[in-house]
Amino acid sequence: MTERLPSGADSAVAAADLRWMRFDRARVFSWAQSIGIIVLLAVIFATPGFLAKPSILSFLTTVSFIGCVAIGMTLITISGNIMSFALGATVGVTAMVFILASNWLGFGFGLVVGLLFGSLLTGLQGLMIGWVRANPIIVSIAALALIYGLTQAFAEKGTIYADPGIFPASVKGKVGGVPIEFIMFVLSALIAQFILSFTRFGRNLFMVGSSFRAAEAVGVNTWRTITGAYLWAGFFTSLAGIMLAVRYDAANMDYGVAYDYDAIAAVLVGGTAIGGGHGSAVRAFAGAMVIAAVQVMLLLRGLRQEWQYLAAGLIVLAVIILQARGSGR
Amino acid sequence: MAGPGLGRSDASGGQFLQSVLSVHGVSKTYPGVIALRDVSFSLAPGEIRALCGENGAGKSTFVKILMGIIQPDSGSIAINGQIQFVREPQQAQALGLGLVAQELSLAPHLSILDNIWLGSTEVPFLHRRASFRMRAQQALATLGLADWHLDRPVNSLSIGQRQLIEIARLLAREARVLILDEPTATLSDADIERILGILKGLRAQGRSIIYITHRLGEVFELCDSVTVLRNGQHVATQPVSEVTREHLVEQMLGRSFKDMYPQAATRADQGIRMAVDGLHVPGVLQDFSLIAPRGRIVGIAGQIGSGANMVTRSLAGLVPSATGSVTIDGRPMRLGSVPRCVARNVLFVSDDRAAEGLFPQMTVLDNLVATRLDASSQMGVLSWPALRRLGVSLAERVGVDRHRLQSPSTTLSGGNQQKLLFGRALASKEAGVLLMNEPTRGIDVGARAEIYRIMRELCDRGAALIMTSSDLEEVVGIADIVITLYRGRVVARYEGDGIAMSSILADITHPTQAIA
Repeated sequence: MTERLPSGADSAVAAADLRWMRFDRARVFSWAQSIGIIVLLAVIFATPGFLAKPSILSFLTTVSFIGCVAIGMTLITISGNIMSFALGATVGVTAMVFILASNWLGFGFGLVVGLLFGSLLTGLQGLMIGWVRANPIIVSIAALALIYGLTQAFAEKGTIYADPGIFPASVKGKVGGVPIEFIMFVLSALIAQFILSFTRFGRNLFMVGSSFRAAEAVGVNTWRTITGAYLWAGFFTSLAGIMLAVRYDAANMDYGVAYDYDAIAAVLVGGTAIGGGHGSAVRAFAGAMVIAAVQVMLLLRGLRQEWQYLAAGLIVLAVIILQARGSGR
Repeated sequence: MAGPGLGRSDASGGQFLQSVLSVHGVSKTYPGVIALRDVSFSLAPGEIRALCGENGAGKSTFVKILMGIIQPDSGSIAINGQIQFVREPQQAQALGLGLVAQELSLAPHLSILDNIWLGSTEVPFLHRRASFRMRAQQALATLGLADWHLDRPVNSLSIGQRQLIEIARLLAREARVLILDEPTATLSDADIERILGILKGLRAQGRSIIYITHRLGEVFELCDSVTVLRNGQHVATQPVSEVTREHLVEQMLGRSFKDMYPQAATRADQGIRMAVDGLHVPGVLQDFSLIAPRGRIVGIAGQIGSGANMVTRSLAGLVPSATGSVTIDGRPMRLGSVPRCVARNVLFVSDDRAAEGLFPQMTVLDNLVATRLDASSQMGVLSWPALRRLGVSLAERVGVDRHRLQSPSTTLSGGNQQKLLFGRALASKEAGVLLMNEPTRGIDVGARAEIYRIMRELCDRGAALIMTSSDLEEVVGIADIVITLYRGRVVARYEGDGIAMSSILADITHPTQAIA
């Protein structure tokens, strides 16, 4: 090394001295992230009973609910609008609307009404953000309060029960040993990834998220694109709500509690950039798998709900720190 | 201690004054790229040194090494004869180096005083001390700005005035070597004059300046000597008096300087592409009219604040308050919506490449095809092979390496990024209207010539081009028709041989006559 340097000994000293300074930060932090995930997976798989059938089935359903919301959240994140805090409440309220509609005119009607309701509810927020240019975080917090307020006012008893036998047996079972929820989740991820990768709308979404002004300047219809992102986010979120309602034959606003937070954690762990313009449904899928695995592990280790929040919080914190330090200069 | 950098004198080393800054054999390699190779450099007190080179020549790497933002792989830096290992910008500051970066780094809502001391390591926790106030006032006075009030918020200042605050910030920290990275790129002519005058004053006080610019006029007006870098290597350092403009461009390009501007329009006039009548933007632009023939470049000249850039922005559909009648090929077009304008093939290249042009997280390919998604999709579903083919052909036509198509767009140099934006305009099948603000701002000579070539290619296909530029040399060199603006009103219109630098300059600074 030294003899290659033409400018003499002092430069060589300088070079040796400087070598310590040249740790590539981005690389170090991305290594740290990978190691963190590997350690986490090791702890998860080492948990007694994790690889047993009941806990795997529980994992596959848990991940599906979180995952569908995370896919919706990913679309919002990619569109450059960071996060929505109203998706958990949307899960709850969609479950209620779905059961009411099913009780009235049957499962098929309930399904259509539930999906439409959830999509429009979130799409309306998208309209506020895309067209009125309101702050996305404020809009989602306002929507959260509105949804809780209205449901409290109208559903006094809290829980709505489905009429017995209203759901066909086929939607409550398994296909080839795999819970139907998980199949829906995989399908959702595929559909979302198709939208992102292969449609004009998906491409517009990345452009708007990457640079709103540049997208405007090349003629992308920005408000329609953002509204579209929220419509789809609502669609995937309401799917989670409907699946929950089918599973428990009931709906309650509490069903949605913490789903938005788990979804945010899943999006971040998956590595979707919080600033927008970058990300994928596949990443949301992977992130949801990690978060759900942690939750199942904590349950198996006998830790209560509170510890799950704590764990999710710590994971998000770690990811945020790693992402910020890794990409920042 | 005699630094080794002084042992081997470089081309400017005739002076016997001790160098205030001496760089010896600095190299820096990034994965796959040699950014700097064995560059030596020394700067005397009271010297203004121009640092020239194409984008990617290594200028910014050099500056970052001086400021301790990155560390060199080898080589040494001596400041006032002492070898220093500059590990971080704060240390560089303490050693008397100061940088005014290309992008302003002021906090707009804070006062001038706060901005001057922002980020200084000298300032204790409670900083409102009289001594800091006094030193800030002195710094302003050095710049001839003693009458400015320190408590004025920075957002009440013009861009040119803000640039002066950046310089005052360095002076307040007692910088002996000021590094200015294209300080005039965003300024109007009047502001440029003022800055150049102030810099000459600083030289008289014995401060040294490293002046990075793409504008050769400023090199000859302001600087004592010029260092040229090319492909990370030192090409030459010479007194300005011993070099000609052509020679300097040749050193930067590494090849002989052929005519920078392509031939004027050759194609016969084929009628009017775009006609604008009574364009009005409240408070900015009044009763502007324009006729843009096919195959011609219309240049709109005006200082910052003249409304010139609002003409193009309005016609691109980016200004909701713009009114006026616009026809394209005889058919009317409504203003105020970009998608509507894009549908009529009216495309826009912004002067703010970073914020309004590029999609930073996206690849070169995705950036190139951004305006042509419709043509490569069916029922809203994109065809990746079609997009790829389009991207490859566009990359070839604008002269961007096709192997970079999958790289993030931010890894390209400024000149290549600008070529991407022009590639979008080439992508459309039919020739339309291309609106450009400052088409060559902040890009090097080589890329500049490429951009002019692309502009002429668009003309040959029958497009009408409308551009604004604060670089008058460029307006005279490339435009077929020139319209001058002063404070939102048209002053005059010139065509062909009638286009002359002197009358344009006179129009945009002190209009004598106004024709509607």
